[in-house]
Amino acid sequence: VAESAEARSDVRLDGSIPAGAAPLESILCTEDLHRRPTRLPDYEKENRALVKLVSALADSPSTIFQTLAETILDITQCDSAGLSLLTIDGMTPDVRGQRFYWPAIAGMWNPHVGGGTPRNFGPCGDVLDQNRTLLFTHFERRYPYLQPVIPAAEECLLVPFHVAGEAVGTIWAITHTDRRKFDAEDDRVMASLGKFASSAYQALMHIERLKIQVSEREKAEAEVRELARGLEAKIRRLVEANVVGIVLWNLEGAITGANDAFLLMLQYDRADLASGRLRWTDLTPAEWRDHDERAVADLKATGILQPFEKEYFRKDGSRVAVLLGGALFEGSGSEGVAFVIDLSDQKRAERALRRSEAFLAEGQRLSQIGSFSWRVATDEITWSEQLYRIYELEIGVPVTLEVIRTRVHPEDIALFERMVEQARSGGSDFEWQYRLIMPDRSIKYLHAVAHAIRDQDGQLEYIAAVQDVTTRRQSEQALDNARAEIAHVAKVMSLGTLAAAIAHEVNQPLQGILTNASTCLRMLDADPANVDGARQTARRTIRDGNRASDVITRLRALFARQGGTTESVDLNEVTRELIALSTSQLQRNRVIVRPELADGLPPVRGDRVQLQQVILNLLLNASDAMCGIEDRPRRLVVRTEVDGDDRVRLSVQDAGVGVDPQSLERIFDAFYTTKSGGMGIGLSVSRSIIESHHGRLWAVPNDGPGATFSFCIPRGPEGMTSARGIGAVPTPAVTDAAHVVRDP
Amino acid sequence: MIVTRPLVSVVDDDESVRESLPDLLMALGFAAQAFSSAEEFLASDCVEQTSCLILDIGMPGMTGPDLQRELQRRRQEIPIVFITGRQDQAVRPRLLAQGAVACLFKPFGETALLDSVRAALRVR
Repeated sequence: VAESAEARSDVRLDGSIPAGAAPLESILCTEDLHRRPTRLPDYEKENRALVKLVSALADSPSTIFQTLAETILDITQCDSAGLSLLTIDGMTPDVRGQRFYWPAIAGMWNPHVGGGTPRNFGPCGDVLDQNRTLLFTHFERRYPYLQPVIPAAEECLLVPFHVAGEAVGTIWAITHTDRRKFDAEDDRVMASLGKFASSAYQALMHIERLKIQVSEREKAEAEVRELARGLEAKIRRLVEANVVGIVLWNLEGAITGANDAFLLMLQYDRADLASGRLRWTDLTPAEWRDHDERAVADLKATGILQPFEKEYFRKDGSRVAVLLGGALFEGSGSEGVAFVIDLSDQKRAERALRRSEAFLAEGQRLSQIGSFSWRVATDEITWSEQLYRIYELEIGVPVTLEVIRTRVHPEDIALFERMVEQARSGGSDFEWQYRLIMPDRSIKYLHAVAHAIRDQDGQLEYIAAVQDVTTRRQSEQALDNARAEIAHVAKVMSLGTLAAAIAHEVNQPLQGILTNASTCLRMLDADPANVDGARQTARRTIRDGNRASDVITRLRALFARQGGTTESVDLNEVTRELIALSTSQLQRNRVIVRPELADGLPPVRGDRVQLQQVILNLLLNASDAMCGIEDRPRRLVVRTEVDGDDRVRLSVQDAGVGVDPQSLERIFDAFYTTKSGGMGIGLSVSRSIIESHHGRLWAVPNDGPGATFSFCIPRGPEGMTSARGIGAVPTPAVTDAAHVVRDP
Repeated sequence: MIVTRPLVSVVDDDESVRESLPDLLMALGFAAQAFSSAEEFLASDCVEQTSCLILDIGMPGMTGPDLQRELQRRRQEIPIVFITGRQDQAVRPRLLAQGAVACLFKPFGETALLDSVRAALRVR
């Protein structure tokens, strides 16, 4: 298979020996070398050639193979000389290669530079296999691929060369005619040149490696330079951005450079820095020096200053808390760079946070208000410490709805579940009251107000305040009980007291009348009649009669209401007063009152007391209607609003048992009632009061549970301002009676 | 001959009683004297001579029963006819048990008055 430059790609290099090819022995004549007459060695020439080779190696290593080939040609006086080197890719020397290539050829075969032969089927391979010098004659007879390589080789002397015990190739000399035959001297010279080739190859490889190393290093250095340039720009950007303080320093304590952020942080300027008086050791308060020493010890050991918090003195002597971290420069030993971040804001915020947390905790403890957050999607519940105390659970135990449920009063469980359900689906604020039952069977009353928020992911979360209102409820209940008792006693007492007071006041003059009349008769009956005395007692009788009459007049004046008092009334104000007055009654019924009072509501004209009685009646009716409701909040909404151009409307909406639509009108009948007891003046009186105010009172069932009672009355004339009534509020009879009653 | 009329003293804070009752008593043949308070009566020189005391129960300061106890303490046991404007039936048996001759509820008539005063004088 031809391995010429032209034919190389057309032939199979590892083809098997073709049939009929000459055996190896037939093309070898190595033994002839020592039988032939030998030339005399020309050592001078040989030395010159080797010196030339060595200088070539030093001056231009890339041409060393060509120089070697020329040297062989020169010394052996052959026709062609060259090298074969193992290669994988056909170009680069590689001992693992399965082909030889010809990097350099001198003489007649010079045009075949770049050609080659297979490793295992060719003269070079035979040489390496036998590991000795071989002399071939007409090797194309065995290796037909060499036939096209012209001129044909008469004889070819091949010498192996090894580098570090590995065969890397051959050097060879060829004669194309029988002008001369190789002899023992050629064998010696070639062996010598083989050794030289070995060294040269080694040197060349070394040079190549060096070249590669150099180029790689140059490349790496270029990359580092490029990187450094980029990095320097970036670092400069960081330093000049003054986002953090950057400071250059040395272990002796000097600050050798700093950016404006650092100087500003410590109130120094460029002049201070330039003076060289700025020393980090002086900037550090005494109690931080130990810490600094440990940090410096670490720094010396690792080259890194792990970030830590410390304080520096400012120029004015005040302190600034900073976060500091840095590193020693490589190789410098004592110089480094550090970043310094002003922590004042964080510290202030931390302090404020700690303070507000402390305030909050203390406030919660004092006010008995706990708080919680509830992330609905994950049921993640967080309680404040006070809430744990309210629930009498160990602070820190994980809170779940299940845990809360174990504390909820059995009668309020349904309400609780409903609240949870609504909260999950709703997403609006809510408020509820419920009871807890403690392990010792005691009952706690809680009032909770929850505010719905959405976090950054849009997830629903409630933030709520929970107040333990047990004490308040208990004292309210006690107060209410006492009040009810007093009211009852007062009611029973007042009638008797009133009757006695009236009797006493009237009996005194009656006694005078009776006595005087008797005296008068006696005087007239006397003999002689005492007419003057009779006249005098008759006058006293008249006087006492008038006195009795005066008492009656006074009593009538006392109990008669001054009817028809018309004044400007602010329904919002009246409503607020009434809610305040009836708070305990409403809370005892666990009613949540939500006033929705319109801003800027125009005043109405009317009898303040009568309107108060109507509103109070509606509030108490609504409260009573929700008395038995356990499965939903007992919510009562009082709403005021402008109704059309000239009317003001007030509605009271409850969530109670509601009103049967058929009874909607009957409930206003004078004697209609669905209640066994109750306060207020009754719906029929309420309606007549509203009608006397030229208004209307009506009821409608709600869409949901309960009913809404509303009235509307004309607004007052423009420009009328609301004023408190004068003398229209009746005082209880029992109090006034005390003014006219004397002890019996 | 001079017939000595027994002295009936009237103690009542109500002026119309003080004005009218002594005149009637005198018309009925008694000597009469009126006082506006228990204290005034005790301070007067009539205590010894009084044969019958017509005494209002409810008065500012010392009440009728207070005066009764004071007189018992002084061992000046004057027969007492209580009068009162308050028709408290429960008070009468208590006062009678404590030694009162009678207890009249205002307004009372001439007959009741005369019967009571006569009864008092009989006790004396």
